[in-house]
Amino acid sequence: MDEQTPKPPVEETLGFWDQHRFMLLIVGTIFISFVLVAVSLVMYNVSGSAQLDLSRPGYQSVSDKVDRTDPVTEYSAFGPVNKQTVKAFTDVYDQQSKKAKAVDAFNGDPLNPDVLEFGDPTTSTE
Amino acid sequence: MTVRARFLVFALIAASVFSVFSVHTASAVELSDEQLGRIKANCLSIKGSLNQLHASDALLRVNRGQLYESIGARLMNNFNSRLSNNSLDNKGLVAVTQSYQTAQTNFRNSYREYEVQLSAAIRIDCTKDPEAFHNAIESARIKRATTRADVVRMNQYIDDYRSAVNDFMLNFERVTGKK
Repeated sequence: MDEQTPKPPVEETLGFWDQHRFMLLIVGTIFISFVLVAVSLVMYNVSGSAQLDLSRPGYQSVSDKVDRTDPVTEYSAFGPVNKQTVKAFTDVYDQQSKKAKAVDAFNGDPLNPDVLEFGDPTTSTE
Repeated sequence: MTVRARFLVFALIAASVFSVFSVHTASAVELSDEQLGRIKANCLSIKGSLNQLHASDALLRVNRGQLYESIGARLMNNFNSRLSNNSLDNKGLVAVTQSYQTAQTNFRNSYREYEVQLSAAIRIDCTKDPEAFHNAIESARIKRATTRADVVRMNQYIDDYRSAVNDFMLNFERVTGKK
């Protein structure tokens, strides 16, 4: 009777990527998150959201002055049209238009060299 | 066309192109030594003023922008929709609303360009490069004036819309027999 000797288990040799699968997962995750952050930052800057974000450094002095109250009462798009409903609209509209024009936004010339005190003294701005 | 005529046309084009470039170059380099010295000497205080302006304009953009957006979206659009839902003629009002929305888009873009330019000017070291600093401020100044023009245009459309509502009402009363 032949006694077969058990074969020793063959050791599989793992390739480089198989050996570093976990490391690859970590590096891949970090890379993807960097790409997503870069894309979102580009969108944040290109869309103009950056200009509305007063939590950025340099805006602390004004961030608490943002008008957080709802500026305009909504006028319903549904309902009848008659003299009374149009008058109700014009009342709200006149009030808001007065508010919009109350501040003469971006007027003046604060970036004029004379205002910033480095203008040419030989030329007059008048 | 004769050779002489061709040469004349070429010379005219070349002269006009050259004159345009020379005007731009002249406007970019118009600083006296005294001005350069003043920019360097007052660099810190100028930057302080620019930073203050940067912050106050940002606040203005947020608060005014919010109001202008609401007037367009919540009042003009909704009133137009109400007229449309009642099968009434709102063409005049819709036309003004569209112009207003275009002006709003221009305002957003102008302000963004102005803010980017002002930020760039603030980042320039005015003690080392006063000329670049001056040019950046001049560019921001032009962009701020454009933003201002957009605000004026939006205010004008707000008035135009109000006039269009009056016209609508006159027409409506005439058609319905003063309800």
